[in-house]
Amino acid sequence: MTDARAAAKAAAARIAACEAKGTHAFLAWSEQALLAEAERLAANTAAAAGPLAGEAVAVKDVIAEATFPTTCGSKILEGWRSPFEATAIRRLRQAGAMVAGKTNCDEFAMGSSTEYSSYGPTRNPVDPSRVPGGSSGGSAAAVAASAVTMALGSETGGSVRHPAAFCGVVGIKPTYGRVSRYGLVAFGSSLDQIGTLGRDVASAARLLAVISGRDERDATTLDRDPLPLPGPAPASLSGTVVGVPREYFPDGLHAGIRAASDRALARLRDLGAEVREVSLPHTKYAVPTYYIVAPAEASSNLARYDGVRYGLRADGGVADVRPLYRATRGRGFGAEVRRRILLGTYVLSAGYYDAYYRQAQRVREAIRADFARVFASGVHALFTPTTPTPAFRLGENLADPLAMYLSDVYVCTANLAWVPALSLPIGRDQGLPVGGQLIGPMEGEPAIVRIAQALERALDRTAEVR
Amino acid sequence: MGVTRKDVEKIAQLAELAVDDAAARELEQQLSRILDYVAQLAEVRDDAGTAGDARAARLRPDVLAPDPLSRAPQQFAPGFKDGLFTVPRLGELDRGDDVP
Amino acid sequence: MSWETVVGLEVHVQLLTATKMFCACSAKFGDPPNTNVCPVCLGLPGALPVPNEQAVRLAVRAAFALGCTVHPRSIFARKNYFYPDLPKGYQISQFEEPLATGGALEVVSPERGPITVRIKRLHVEEDAAKSFHDRVPGMTAVDFNRSGVPLVEIVSEPDLRSPQEARAYLTTLKQVLRYVDVSDCNMEEGSLRVDANLSIRPAGSSELRTRTEVKNMNSFSGVERALTFERDRQLAATERGEAIEQRTMLFDAASGEVRPTRSKEESHDYRYFPEPDIPPLVLSESWLGAERAELPELPAAKRERFESRYGLTRYEAGVLTAEREQADLYEMAVAKGGSPKSVATWMMNEVDRLQAVYQRVSAPVFKLPSRLSSAEVFVTAIAAVSQSVEAGDLNRAGGRQLLEEIAAKPERLVESLTAGEPRAIAVRLAKLLGILQVSDTGEIDGWVRETLAAHPAEVARYRAGETRLLGFLVGQVLKRSKGKADPKLVNAALITALNS
Repeated sequence: MTDARAAAKAAAARIAACEAKGTHAFLAWSEQALLAEAERLAANTAAAAGPLAGEAVAVKDVIAEATFPTTCGSKILEGWRSPFEATAIRRLRQAGAMVAGKTNCDEFAMGSSTEYSSYGPTRNPVDPSRVPGGSSGGSAAAVAASAVTMALGSETGGSVRHPAAFCGVVGIKPTYGRVSRYGLVAFGSSLDQIGTLGRDVASAARLLAVISGRDERDATTLDRDPLPLPGPAPASLSGTVVGVPREYFPDGLHAGIRAASDRALARLRDLGAEVREVSLPHTKYAVPTYYIVAPAEASSNLARYDGVRYGLRADGGVADVRPLYRATRGRGFGAEVRRRILLGTYVLSAGYYDAYYRQAQRVREAIRADFARVFASGVHALFTPTTPTPAFRLGENLADPLAMYLSDVYVCTANLAWVPALSLPIGRDQGLPVGGQLIGPMEGEPAIVRIAQALERALDRTAEVR
Repeated sequence: MGVTRKDVEKIAQLAELAVDDAAARELEQQLSRILDYVAQLAEVRDDAGTAGDARAARLRPDVLAPDPLSRAPQQFAPGFKDGLFTVPRLGELDRGDDVP
Repeated sequence: MSWETVVGLEVHVQLLTATKMFCACSAKFGDPPNTNVCPVCLGLPGALPVPNEQAVRLAVRAAFALGCTVHPRSIFARKNYFYPDLPKGYQISQFEEPLATGGALEVVSPERGPITVRIKRLHVEEDAAKSFHDRVPGMTAVDFNRSGVPLVEIVSEPDLRSPQEARAYLTTLKQVLRYVDVSDCNMEEGSLRVDANLSIRPAGSSELRTRTEVKNMNSFSGVERALTFERDRQLAATERGEAIEQRTMLFDAASGEVRPTRSKEESHDYRYFPEPDIPPLVLSESWLGAERAELPELPAAKRERFESRYGLTRYEAGVLTAEREQADLYEMAVAKGGSPKSVATWMMNEVDRLQAVYQRVSAPVFKLPSRLSSAEVFVTAIAAVSQSVEAGDLNRAGGRQLLEEIAAKPERLVESLTAGEPRAIAVRLAKLLGILQVSDTGEIDGWVRETLAAHPAEVARYRAGETRLLGFLVGQVLKRSKGKADPKLVNAALITALNS
């Protein structure tokens, strides 16, 4: 690695350029902080020889890091400087990376457009009148705008792949348990994973490998060593079977999305892959299942924001603690978060738990079983669109929460089933990026990365970022 | 599946979340709609989902190794006095109300 | 109409681990507030729980000691509610699939004799922080040192029939849990807490009527008082024709009263669901088998064994096995050569003097001889005293004096260990101290003569018929002999002298 300082300065310049355009990908960053990272790196010979040496990595603001606040896009954590750091942050620094800054996101990662951030939306660098997707919109935009080559995001219901598709970059959600959640502010604990974004598959995969592996501070991590670093793109996919689930290609699918998907499938065939139609019959229940399980867990995970030990505390001479809770939380949470907390509280409450939460877990098992069955039948990976539409305009889906939820239809299945999934740019529709998704079996990251690398090379260009 | 105003008030109370009138009206409507939508899960009656969780928790040895805080509690607590976190006094004590 | 009382108890005990249930902070009691805290037990954003293996082991041990069925697979669950001492806004506990169910505790009821109290369930959970409502004016102040400390919750069936039985259950439970080194069970320190459920019903009926929950009792006697008050209250209300309302009641130790909380009982909706941050707790058959096999001898079994092996009465065996440590010391002392009955007497009657010796030989400053533990030194002292008194080298007073001397200068005992057998050790020490019992009739006669000469009035009164003055005179002779005279010989000599 040549010069950490130079790398830091260059990164700062790129971030400044990105933000100067009004992208608002970042909530916190500074040249000074980057230079401090460079100094730290230069003094650490092991890190300086690491696989991410000199890389400036943007970090979604739901991941605890010591230099900058961790706001989660919320007022309730405005200015909150975490006194501990996420395992993923420690690992990326150990590998030689520098934290470039904290990126914008939907509040507490709840959303599909980054419009629910309490600090203002992020704009899609490809078309600033449009959303970057969500909830990791800031990280996706930062990569798309070439501010950074790679970024950390988080997934609960597709929040890395969704903005990756909208912004024309690569996004990977690992197998549940692949990456430690220690330091990832919890939203839906049985769904959450830190994911990676990159300008190409190799970047995203390399970052993922570095942060992956068992962690004694997270009891849900797989008992596995870190993933290997990605190798070169395979020249052929002969012997690879790619399944195409019919439920992801309904008759009314957006024409531009369909066209790009068809093109990608053709490329896969050209590479020698066998393309086979399969069925995941419980797909239509994925969004409703997700919108019971995730809010339920969120309602519990967000109970800690009560103004007692940290974060916002409503002032105004409240003399009793419960009214203080209500005022703090009422003021500190935005409308979408509030909606989900109440929804989650409802589906867990006495009399409703069995019909909603317990039933949702059963359906979730069925969704998982669908995937297991298909992968057991000889399919190595599934190919689907990532999103039902390209990036929509700012404000377009704000009137109806349900409309916003439906944007997650193709991505939330992998979170429910715990399987790894990757989105890569597969083309454009009227100038707007279109993402294609590869879904693998449990622990199938190497397989989907391999296929994605081959496909990426076969398609003309990947992240068309300038 | 209608969510009533009373339901909204009750869950807001359980969730310790202040909800003003306008928000409550909107929530009644939005939550009803969402719950109507998710209710379709009741259709799934097949014996799917009986696999259960096959994982086993990895336990931690009983050895002192706390993740140290880079800042002490008094540096981030909204209220702190004499080594203790402070909040306005629990009013229900004075009212003799139930404690969990 | 005669009524019967129905009581069930919910007991929480803190487990004797070094670290907390879900994080590696110290679980120690008494450190400065908010110094044993970390992201996990403070509920900071991004923190995650990881279960403590030793806590699980102790919980399993407790379950086996209480005769429970331990389930190889159990699930942690979140119990959701808001309170300043609950950092995450939920407590990690167990709900639908607890660690253990179906146990029993044999208790001696003051009213009914031996009874079996069924244990409904036992599960693991984390403790909340400690709140202080009156330390800072107008504020509730919280210390999170206790937040996350491992607890076991033990729920009994409503098999208890009186406040006294409740107390007996608690005493027995405490003994069993201390025996297996699971918890200190110290209510005053907060390592044992009790909530009670009480109802009444017509005697002989088997229905379960409306019950109240009684909380805020801080000692075993407090439990007894509180339940007595509540039972009486329910009886009086029922006889007045009033219905019993399901309420939570708080005990006020100062007044002895139990008062309802003012809000109408709306049962809390805890919205339990399985803890997504922790996979199922799975315990292998071999691991469980090993724990079951390593379970120490329980109090009841030890008591019976002491009765049969050492020929002790039920009472003696009960006293000596009340605490396992003491029972172990007893057995060590007997193994050293003390006679079982004699050692028992000494250990039961000379608690203070023995305590003093034990403290001295266990103190860090005391230099133990190589290869000997403080327990071994201690039981040598007991065996020595017991044997030498039994053999007549010392009288009882001399034995007590010997113990005091050992407590004052334990090094002397250590020096005397070279004498070999405990009796020889005692004799050497007693010689050194000049307290060997005097059995020389000549000397005794001398002291008797002196005593009689010094107390002519008492002598006259004795001879006039007040024979009970003999005791006084015996005491005077012993005093004159500085406690060394053999009391039996003194007695005989005095009687002879007085009657001549």
